Amino acid sequence: MNAVLHLASVSRVHGEGATEVHALRSVTFRAHPGELVAVMGPSGSGKSTLLTLAGGLDAPTSGSVWIEGTDLATLDNAGRARMRRTSVGYVFQDFNLIPALTAAENVALPRELDGEKGRIARRLALTALEEVGIVDLADRFPDEMSGGQQQRVAIARAIVGERRLILADEPTGALDTDTGEEILRLLRARCDAGAAGVMVTHEARHAAWADRVVFLRDGVVVDETGADEPEILLAGDRA
Amino acid sequence: MSIRQAMLAILEQGPMYGYQLRAEFEQRTGETWPLNIGQVYTTLTRLERDGLVEVVGHGGADDQADQGERHVSYRATEAGRSEVSEWFATPVPRSQPPRDELAIKLAIAVTIPGVDVATIIQRQRSATMASLQDYTRLKRTGRAATPEEPADLAWSLVLDALVFDAEAEVRWLDHCEARLRRAALDRPPVRRDAPAAAPSEEIVR
Amino acid sequence: MRGWRPALRIAWRDALRHRGRSILVLVMISLPVLAVSAAAVVIKTAEVSGVERADRVLGAADARVRTEGRGALVQAPDPLESGWTPVGEVDLDAPLTEDELRAVLGQDARLVPIEDGSAATRLDDRVFDFSTIGVDLSDPIAEGLFELEAGRLPDAPGEVVVNGAMLDKGFAVGDELDVAGTALRIVGAGRDATAYDYPVVLGSSQDMRSGAVNLREWLVDAGPVSWSQVRELNAIGAVVVSRAVLADPPDDASMSEQLGYGTGQEETYAVAALIIVMALIEVVLLAGPAFAVGARRHARTLALIAASGGTPAQARRVIIASGVVLGLVASVAGLVLGVLAGWAALPFVQRFNGEWFGPFEAPWPYLAAIVVFGLVSALLASVVPAWLASRQDVVAVLAGRRGDRRPRASTPVVGLVLLGIGVAASAYGAVTAGGGSGAFWIAGAAILSVLGMILVVPVVVSTVARLAGRLPLTARYAARDAARHRARTVPAVAAVAATVAGVVALGIANASDEESNEATYWPQAPMGTGVVSWGPNVLPGEEAPDPEPVWSSIEQVVRETVPGVEVERTHGLAESYDPNGWTSQQVVLPPDLEDGEGWGLSVYGPSVAVSDTAAGAGVVGDVLGDVDRALAAGRTVVFTLAAEGDVEASLVEETWREGSEQAVDRRVHRLDAVMVPWDQATSGPAPASTILPTAVTDELGLEVMTRDLRLTGDLDEATETRVDEAVRGVTDGTYTYVERGYERPDEAVVVLLVLGALGGLLMLGGTLTATFLALSDARPDLATLSAVGAAPRTRRRVAASYAVVVGLVGSVLGAAVGFIPGVAISRPLTAAQMGPSGEEAGPFLAVPWLLVAVIVVALPLLTAAVVGLTARSRLPLVARLD
Repeated sequence: MNAVLHLASVSRVHGEGATEVHALRSVTFRAHPGELVAVMGPSGSGKSTLLTLAGGLDAPTSGSVWIEGTDLATLDNAGRARMRRTSVGYVFQDFNLIPALTAAENVALPRELDGEKGRIARRLALTALEEVGIVDLADRFPDEMSGGQQQRVAIARAIVGERRLILADEPTGALDTDTGEEILRLLRARCDAGAAGVMVTHEARHAAWADRVVFLRDGVVVDETGADEPEILLAGDRA
Repeated sequence: MSIRQAMLAILEQGPMYGYQLRAEFEQRTGETWPLNIGQVYTTLTRLERDGLVEVVGHGGADDQADQGERHVSYRATEAGRSEVSEWFATPVPRSQPPRDELAIKLAIAVTIPGVDVATIIQRQRSATMASLQDYTRLKRTGRAATPEEPADLAWSLVLDALVFDAEAEVRWLDHCEARLRRAALDRPPVRRDAPAAAPSEEIVR
Repeated sequence: MRGWRPALRIAWRDALRHRGRSILVLVMISLPVLAVSAAAVVIKTAEVSGVERADRVLGAADARVRTEGRGALVQAPDPLESGWTPVGEVDLDAPLTEDELRAVLGQDARLVPIEDGSAATRLDDRVFDFSTIGVDLSDPIAEGLFELEAGRLPDAPGEVVVNGAMLDKGFAVGDELDVAGTALRIVGAGRDATAYDYPVVLGSSQDMRSGAVNLREWLVDAGPVSWSQVRELNAIGAVVVSRAVLADPPDDASMSEQLGYGTGQEETYAVAALIIVMALIEVVLLAGPAFAVGARRHARTLALIAASGGTPAQARRVIIASGVVLGLVASVAGLVLGVLAGWAALPFVQRFNGEWFGPFEAPWPYLAAIVVFGLVSALLASVVPAWLASRQDVVAVLAGRRGDRRPRASTPVVGLVLLGIGVAASAYGAVTAGGGSGAFWIAGAAILSVLGMILVVPVVVSTVARLAGRLPLTARYAARDAARHRARTVPAVAAVAATVAGVVALGIANASDEESNEATYWPQAPMGTGVVSWGPNVLPGEEAPDPEPVWSSIEQVVRETVPGVEVERTHGLAESYDPNGWTSQQVVLPPDLEDGEGWGLSVYGPSVAVSDTAAGAGVVGDVLGDVDRALAAGRTVVFTLAAEGDVEASLVEETWREGSEQAVDRRVHRLDAVMVPWDQATSGPAPASTILPTAVTDELGLEVMTRDLRLTGDLDEATETRVDEAVRGVTDGTYTYVERGYERPDEAVVVLLVLGALGGLLMLGGTLTATFLALSDARPDLATLSAVGAAPRTRRRVAASYAVVVGLVGSVLGAAVGFIPGVAISRPLTAAQMGPSGEEAGPFLAVPWLLVAVIVVALPLLTAAVVGLTARSRLPLVARLD
């Protein structure tokens, strides 16, 4: 099966000389459709760098990043921006909604930036909001919503327009346990429906929602779990 | 031992025979701690000996008459009931930590030269992580995902306990790893001139 | 002070940390401070008053006494500055005598006569004027009036010294100077105490008579002359400049009332107050957004202060302290630079000033006031953000949400009320325009309107945001974001609006004034034709030149210079140039036609022209045929307002002598005349009121002479200049003019351009401030946009949209508000004008729609384009610290 996201021997060096920092060292990484991959590691392990590279917000020092079969290095800035609008959805720890726009407008943002007509973009946005269960809050502004609701909007924004790669950076970091699980459930559902998800987290409990957990240490993938079909504790409970 | 009190608590809801009792227990705890039927009857016998349960006869099991004495139903006595309420009223003591093989393993490994502790930690973490993923999968897919009956909720809470337990273990492993690294960095006195802030900054968070 | 120390420390560190924002505020505040303090230095240095002037006009004397007649007067302590006025009848024929002055000043007072006058002399064929001072320069009392630099002081009658400007005219030491027939020898040159570029001749009082029979002036050497002595001398009719009084001026409140200059001062104060208030508003509005952004950055700090028990006042202090710090630094820097700039500009400014500047003077009280102005503007700019910040929702801020409270609903009400008062006061001022107080009402109303507008801005901004739902993404974002950050947006929008209001108001005033000027314009020749006229300068004692040869040479030169232009002489009855007497000629209609429809026509040419053709007299239009027929028939043509037909008119010749009350000679000739109505509403003033055919002048023996040359043909400005230069070369006293209809004076155009440029600059400033502060505030949003897939140019679009929102809202609002004082002021400005045909005209109202359109639509769009092109097109990364 073709990977939606493929990082091939990607390295990223920040700074030069004495202040040189190797954020990633020759990391190879794939995310397939229908798969949620968690990237775990302590601070400074390079997990956020991995995510910015995956979204084309930053370019690798060496190696290549492929999204749906396209090498990002072959795209210019505008092309990468288009890629983000059409193929990649970002979810952030701090939600990063634009406070001046309503929930629906925030969700419609990628479509509108892509030149979609306002009305169509809004309809897509409402569909996405429906999917995350808060279509009734469509016309509220972010500061009139709770953290969990805001993160749902952010997820709706990441999935609007059938995007097949979702990149989530500590999506539950600013939420309480219960709300966080709701968000994870949404991400999970999206991936079960066929999208590829990459979630950066430092919490094992959240990483456990993934099909696969990748451990990053000092810019290197040190281990990986769950690549095989998982064992079920008790066969009797298999649904 | 908590199995004893747990069975007593289930019996408080009404008379049951052994198989019934085991099913009820596993319904609530999600077969996490499987009981064999012998263990159940041994416990019931002891409870009867201590006067906490009593036999109420062979009722309700006519269709299984050919299984003889096994059809005996038990019921909690007055003393049993007070034992149950005392159990609920008393916190589970942490005074004597359960024996933890992993902690012991690491403690020993750290002191023995030539053992790659980092690898031990990583392997353990992957393993724990895998279990954690399994627990989580059970949590989000099975009857625990959408608890409708009290027993389902009970099962999901037990799963949560396992999840948090595993998570705690992963976090503890992370912590061990960080401390070992710092210790490794502090050890060689050769790198005196290296900026002191760099390593510590990495570890602080 | 104790409570302020932490606030000031935070403010200082913050100012250092956010250099860009600090520099922005520093520039906003220090620029006006710099400009005003430089101006103050230059003006104060250029201004020679009080004791400084004393040395110039008194020399070494204790006082200078001047009398023009007998009769009480009141004077200011410094009469040269603030004047004097008689309080009763003045007997001009009986000036005070020296004895009368000595009766007040003391018997041993020494009085040295000094004459102050002017004269003219001829150098080649040029005649020019100069000042004369007649005083005995060798007397020690005159020391300081003149500083000799070459030659020697005059020591005998007939000898004079001159100043540098006189040398520049072409005179040299040793030359002779012919003044009113007297030959004076220049024996020295030097520096006059007062005049810088105006020629001055100093000589003995006999040679340099002022010319006025009743004016006498003395330098007095009598010890200090007290204020009471001054009053005594005033009582008998003398104006006194006393060194002692100048040095220690008495309280002159009582005098000022009598002198009537109280109102003048008030006017100056009112104008100064208007300027200061408007400047303050503008500076505050421009610097405000920076403080608003600072306050936002400090929101968390302030919330923490509040959470740890700080009062709102303490929270406010943090923001106000940054106003104190930045205001102080900006004011002091502006002051120092301003004083330096003023000092550096002095030699340059001196060149444009006729009077010697005083010694370098830094007016510390004024400068201190200017520093206070800078400080106050910074404080005011920080007060509103500080106040808003102090009432933010602490819980919300600490929880990481915005803590803005909704704006009170009462603000637009107050604003609308103020606007209403502004309209009413403007209307009142416009209606009561006659008194002159109308302008004050309108000025006050302008300030009220602007203040009211500022209070309405938040509502307008919110409304725009609410209506922004259908706009494209970036515009919608900009509008909503602007409304969300009102503390930052409102002052910027208000600054733009205030600027636009000012420009629109002045533009309307200017356009109305121009329209009034145009409507009341008196042409001096038919449209498109040129006139070369000449009148000789004849000094007393000189013989008037024979005009016809001069005219011939002028005509010849014009023909040679511009061969393509048709040149024609127009003739009129001869006028005598004899300074001792002159003859007037006047055509008189029968008494029943003198008023109403007969007389009353405006004329630009000679009163009585002489010509045998209509064209020869410059007549154009429908009446050409009638006039030609009449003249061909040997009849006189009289232009009237309405009356027509034959009439018996008469030509009255009167000869007058200098000083005579009645004509010494009077002759009357009968004229067979035809009245021709002249439609001045369409044709403008008539070329002449009467045209005599040559048959009549020959018959009556009237002397006819050339009055001017009429030029027709291609007369562009270059041609006009060439003709002018050529005829100037022929003789003195020529005047060349080409009628082009009403032309806007160059300086008016320059003023408009400067106004427009300044307005544009301020608008750009306001818009840029708001936009770039908004962009820096919008970093996280832009980062999000980038992550969501916005193309890099989105940042430019957002910036441009922001500029459009700020610029457009501001300019529309400002233009609307600018109409209030603009329309109002056009009334007193243009009411009660005299039209070209003598009728009452005005008030005029003209709206410069092009200017308004440029400012309201084009300028914001241009600003947006500039912003869009200059903004970086790189989007920031979502940065998460880990």
